[in-house]
Amino acid sequence: MLKSMGAAKQAVHTGVGDGTDVSVAGAVSSGRSSGLKILPIVEAVVLVAALLAPLVLQDYLTVFATRVIILALFALSFDLVWGYAGIMSFGQALFFGSAGYGVALLARDLDITNIFLVLPAGTLIGLAFALLLGGFLLLGRHPSSVIFVSLGTLTGSYAADRLARGWYYLGGQNGIPSIAPMSLGTYEFTEGPAFYYLVLGILVLVYLLCRFLVRSQFGLALAGLRENEQRIAFFGYKAQHLKAIIFTIGGAVAGLAGSLYAFHEGFVWPNMVGVVVSTQVVLYVLFGGSGTLIGAVIGAVIVEGVSFWLSDNYRDIWPIILGVLLLVVILFRPLGLISFMLGERERVGSFGAKAKENP
Amino acid sequence: MANAFVAAFEILSFGAIIVLIVLGLGIIASMMGIFNFAQGEFVLLGAYITYLAYAKGMPIWAGMVAAPFVVGALGFALEALIIRRFYAAPIVAMLGTYALGLIIRESVRGLIGGFYLTVPEPIGGSIDIGAMHISAWRFTIIVITLLVMAGCYLLLSRTSFGLRMRATLENPSLARASGISTPLMYGATFAFGSALAGLAGALIVPVFSLYADLGLRFLIQGFVAVMVGGVGSFIGPVAGAGVIGTLSAALPWVMAPVVADVLVFVLAIVFIKFRPQGLIAGKGV
Repeated sequence: MLKSMGAAKQAVHTGVGDGTDVSVAGAVSSGRSSGLKILPIVEAVVLVAALLAPLVLQDYLTVFATRVIILALFALSFDLVWGYAGIMSFGQALFFGSAGYGVALLARDLDITNIFLVLPAGTLIGLAFALLLGGFLLLGRHPSSVIFVSLGTLTGSYAADRLARGWYYLGGQNGIPSIAPMSLGTYEFTEGPAFYYLVLGILVLVYLLCRFLVRSQFGLALAGLRENEQRIAFFGYKAQHLKAIIFTIGGAVAGLAGSLYAFHEGFVWPNMVGVVVSTQVVLYVLFGGSGTLIGAVIGAVIVEGVSFWLSDNYRDIWPIILGVLLLVVILFRPLGLISFMLGERERVGSFGAKAKENP
Repeated sequence: MANAFVAAFEILSFGAIIVLIVLGLGIIASMMGIFNFAQGEFVLLGAYITYLAYAKGMPIWAGMVAAPFVVGALGFALEALIIRRFYAAPIVAMLGTYALGLIIRESVRGLIGGFYLTVPEPIGGSIDIGAMHISAWRFTIIVITLLVMAGCYLLLSRTSFGLRMRATLENPSLARASGISTPLMYGATFAFGSALAGLAGALIVPVFSLYADLGLRFLIQGFVAVMVGGVGSFIGPVAGAGVIGTLSAALPWVMAPVVADVLVFVLAIVFIKFRPQGLIAGKGV
């Protein structure tokens, strides 16, 4: 309670805007929030902006926006694992990239590009890899340390990168180029508004599913896991199983994003499974705000957008700026940009069907 | 016979390089509980300083001697300004040091461009033993690694500085009560670990040449080595580095390099899973 009061005060001081400040403070003081909620507004604004984007953007920007939406989906998968369950997965690209490679091989060797086959296939590949790696790292007689899990996932991703680079069947350094476009009957999804709305539709669907998941009793147990794993274990939850489940779900979402990415870009290459992309997704989520789903989406959009915008003139110094910004966020805004708008109480939110308050 | 000897020398010299790189990483991880993602970039900085000395026409030796001091000083400053805030949260420390590493790496990339810059070996030529030739510089690296290892061991186990360092590690509050300045000890430990990375970078740059991702290449191998060896002691990470370095260099002689590369990591992770305390458990030197 005190903590949320502090957060509300902070919101007042940072000056988000008078109306919103009052509503946060009101929500805190009146217990059950009858006032205005900020999170749904943010979500609605983002959705409307995303829906309108192709109408105002030029063609090449729509292609870029599609890529950003796919990366936002990928960011969502990492946010589930880190933001909600507190598992540091430094190897999320392993699931993203292996699904990308998987669907690329399907298209290249078996001529399978039907959307109803390749997307489930990619999701399953991500799920299977996450189940294997997560099961190995997280389950077992003794609980694994956070350090072991984060370094284990990092190592897995690095090893996959090396394997992809050296394996001739996977195209080696060059990856697999010119993947056939995804198809639905005779219609082919090529870059453009149709692909954009397809991806956006998938993102919204997955977002809603995730939202349901993290607001359920399962989500409550996950939040407890994140805050104090031992206490959750003492309550009788099987903490390791919970972790393995959410890790696997995260892997499946990453796999879905990876297969979309492969078909959108038309090629896959070793970086996609490697450390570079793994750390990129960490950046998105930390920037936007881990522990809120919309924070992950906003983070992906902002990081990619600014990077695209700066890449013409400041290509060389952009990574340095990114590093400095990341450091500043970690030091001074550990909850990310979304915490400028969102109070602590709303970020933690409520759980279960009746949305009971959990102070 | 000659072939086997050359192979053994290659394996030994690569093992020595990994040990040299892991020394600093291991000291910081064991003594402070921080997995420093910027360690690879400290290695890179050491290499860059050596290259700068060479490019400015100074003797390469001068650059190699200066590198550990400059990088150590930088490490001390970074610890006081930034790393100090991360002690309570190991994961946040990883992310924070990753950001630091990113800044250093991209700055160096900006300075050198996307090139591979070569630095000649200060001791060129080869040592001939019968019909076999081994690189004199690689041999020197092995000797220096052994000296540095012995020096670190003596520093930690025999001097009062080492005693205070270990006291701070094992029981910070008691150390403070005994009049040891723990913040200073943490700063000194971090600076020492960074200086070792700088030295490693300076010594290996003639072998691998200078490029922006030089440090990154060794970082994950280093982490795996520290975990295999066991966090908490000085000797653990060194032993782990020996094992990982030897395996990485030896396996490609008996199987396809791609498979060997991945196999080392898989074996290491499986080993750590079933023996989380590592090869050498326990705290101390």
